[in-house]
Amino acid sequence: MRAIALLIAWLAALAALAFVAQRTLVVSSDLRGFMPPAQNADQKLLLDQIGEGPASRLLMLAIEGGDNNAMRARLSRDLAHALQGDAHFARVLNGETDVAALDPKLLPYRFLLSPTLDTNRFDADYLRDQLQQRLEDLASPAASLIKPLLARDPTGEVLALVQRWTPAQTPRLCDSVWCDKSGNALLLVETHAAAFDPNAQSAAIDALRAALARLPGNGTVRLTISGPGYFSVVAAARTRAEAEWLSALGTAGFILLLLVAYRSPRLVALAALPIASGALAGIAATALVFGPIHGITLAFGFTLLGVAQEYPIRLFSHRRAGASAQASLAGVWPLLRLAIVSACIAYLAFYASGVAGLQQLATFTIAGLIVAGAATRWLLPAVLPVQFRDVADAHWLERFRLWLDALPPLRWLPWSVFALALGLIALAPTPLWQNDLAALTPLPPELLKREGELRAALGAPDVRYLLVLEASDADGVLGLSEQISAQVEKWIADGKVDDVELPSRYLPSLATQRARQAQLPDRATLAAALAQAQQGGEFASDLFTPFLDDVAAARALPPLTHAAFAAAPLGARLTAMLSKRDEHYLGLATLAGVHDPAALATIAQRTQGRVHLLDLKTASESLVASYRARIGAALLVALVLLALAVALAFRDLARAWHVIAPMSLATLAALAALRAGGVSLSLFHLVALTLAAGLGLHYALFFERRVDDAAEARRTLHATVVCVASAVLVFGLLATSSVPVLRAIGATVALGVAFHFCLSIVMARNARK
Amino acid sequence: MPSDTPYAETRFVHVLRKPLQLRGELHYGGAGVLGKRVDAPYRETTQIANDEVTVQREGKSARRFSLERAPELEALLESFSALLGGDAAALNRYFTLSLDRRDAAWRLTLTPRSHDLAKHLRELIVDGRDSAVRCVSLHEADGDASVMRMGAIADAKFADPPTASALDVLCRGADR
Repeated sequence: MRAIALLIAWLAALAALAFVAQRTLVVSSDLRGFMPPAQNADQKLLLDQIGEGPASRLLMLAIEGGDNNAMRARLSRDLAHALQGDAHFARVLNGETDVAALDPKLLPYRFLLSPTLDTNRFDADYLRDQLQQRLEDLASPAASLIKPLLARDPTGEVLALVQRWTPAQTPRLCDSVWCDKSGNALLLVETHAAAFDPNAQSAAIDALRAALARLPGNGTVRLTISGPGYFSVVAAARTRAEAEWLSALGTAGFILLLLVAYRSPRLVALAALPIASGALAGIAATALVFGPIHGITLAFGFTLLGVAQEYPIRLFSHRRAGASAQASLAGVWPLLRLAIVSACIAYLAFYASGVAGLQQLATFTIAGLIVAGAATRWLLPAVLPVQFRDVADAHWLERFRLWLDALPPLRWLPWSVFALALGLIALAPTPLWQNDLAALTPLPPELLKREGELRAALGAPDVRYLLVLEASDADGVLGLSEQISAQVEKWIADGKVDDVELPSRYLPSLATQRARQAQLPDRATLAAALAQAQQGGEFASDLFTPFLDDVAAARALPPLTHAAFAAAPLGARLTAMLSKRDEHYLGLATLAGVHDPAALATIAQRTQGRVHLLDLKTASESLVASYRARIGAALLVALVLLALAVALAFRDLARAWHVIAPMSLATLAALAALRAGGVSLSLFHLVALTLAAGLGLHYALFFERRVDDAAEARRTLHATVVCVASAVLVFGLLATSSVPVLRAIGATVALGVAFHFCLSIVMARNARK
Repeated sequence: MPSDTPYAETRFVHVLRKPLQLRGELHYGGAGVLGKRVDAPYRETTQIANDEVTVQREGKSARRFSLERAPELEALLESFSALLGGDAAALNRYFTLSLDRRDAAWRLTLTPRSHDLAKHLRELIVDGRDSAVRCVSLHEADGDASVMRMGAIADAKFADPPTASALDVLCRGADR
């Protein structure tokens, strides 16, 4: 009766904890939260770019199918209109409005913005030549382009600015909206969410699809989405789908295994309670200490908590006739406690790493292990059924024990494994580290092909390279941008890059604007020059009065600052390119079609480092490498702490050696096996090796235990065999995944567990013979 | 079938004191390829090919702009190609057609179907006699017009400057 009451109370407590956790849990999927602090300026910029970089936040859309161009164009317009007010998106472009158009309010500024006055003067000769050209324009196919502004702009500054502001490659137009060669309507949308925040990207993409689904006639068209943000959603969904399927299969196998081992469905159900308690406690503790929990913390945390699955198995296997469950457990509890405490001490090393993500992971795992262990020790025995089957009675177990006892000492084996492992690691043909995290969640080639096609059709900027300009203020950035523009034009002419979008393309520096302003003649002088130029000409005599008015206005204008320009249609573009950082300003110029990055990188020497080419891929790889170095260091410290804890508990160096040595050697052997298989290591391998080491610690500790009672030895063997079998089953299944990141975790743990088991037998169990 | 035809064009533009008069040669190079050469009063070559317009003037570097920047021009080009290539279906896509015959002379009036095109172009009139085109006249929405005389009648003599009605009479060819 008391047992049932306790069980109900326990379940109720878990349900309450789950409810609270579910209500307060904020899972953040922004990768930046899991990254180490940036070490250099490029890494800092990268972390900002991941969140704020306009190029990485662009989604490219294609509306395909439907009846004809007109229908796709209508849907493109309606979709753009529907998304304009949507909070997920910063801007929506479909070619409908000409972004290069000059804001009518800024029209008099055209003389300050256009480079015409750098090389020409508004004198009679220049104006005569311009008027003759306009006359010829009127008779040419371009007539309809120039006629509306002819009276205000006989020198053609507006068209010159449109040409300057239009990217080198603009998409084609079908029925006045962007389209590709096959007539599919194209759109560019910029999300507010960071590209590598799959949850937020997924919400934006759902909003996008929902908006299209509400439009009439959407049934016949297909929406293709592409871009970094979409890819992160695809990769996350694919990983999640396969992980869920494989863990469901693994769980089913695990339950079956426990049923075979203990012949009691009730036991199997109860076995889930300690780990569930641990997981919920881990979430609660992490949420309490840190607030929002990182998605990666949860995924890695649940993986590392897999160790706790052993606790109830140890309890079940060690029950013996004539003793209560508590009393049976009391015999092995000191070992289990040692395992838990030393693992917790080891994870403290993660806490000391200083990386927020790893600290969360440590908090989660330590709280989870302690609660799962305590639940196994003090709660689980009280709710177990009184009836049980002593596993020591199994005949196969005795035969297995005798076979193990009969094994020769194999003292040469550890040394051979050690030498072989070192040799394999030294001779492995592939790079030791996999720095490209994207390689772990590869995308289907057809997606990448379509991405390339859309990027080319839209002339969308490259997501890998950026040109970074540094100056003390925004105007300094614009001046620097003007300085390098001749070099940049040469690059484009030489085919080293297709287009570079420099900030000064949109707004000249104040000094340049003032210099141009100084070249504008006063009204009387200009009127006289114009009259002279018009003599005997074809244009009506007072046609150009608006031109005289504009020049007079432009002479008195204060130069256009980037803050004032921000209100113009192109202002948002410029604002996105300029950012204040600490005490200075940065300009970010996007590039399209980079063909020769090495040539572009030489700009740094020519500008004494004030302009440099930022390779986001290299920067992110260096960030991952420094991250990995920190984890590696944390792991080494953890191993030392673990050895100290075990030695301290045993107060016997030889015994501690029998536990620590097989664990370390098995970790090395698993590493060697991976390297021999051509695997380059990533964060995920390191986490998997840590889990395997945690499991290996249990095997070594329990095998090292001296028991004179053959039945008790059989129980230990039984528990360990069940643990090994379940770990190999669950993680072996994961190793069959088609997603490399799942395969990395699965194969590493399964391999590691096998090595730990075999080496523990040789080095911990049989070494004492 | 590529062909070259001399032309004489009179442009009535409201911002000009008197109509512009141009002379030169038209070149049709098959679907989508159209050339217009101005020989007098200045020299200029306009090429439309691969959806790009290139304007080359003597002593100046070539200016290019995409046909997509001027969708009305694209429709016009397509209809010119259709007209010269005898593709009635393509013509019908952009314009409603009406044909007026007087003996051997005929006048084909093309009115734009799409709103975008109609914003710039009121109508396009093609006059001909038997199988020969005599005139192509563009009447723009803002009242400006261009009348292009083709082939033999390019050299017809007029009072300077010619009036719109005199041109109309010549183009209709009713004087025979």
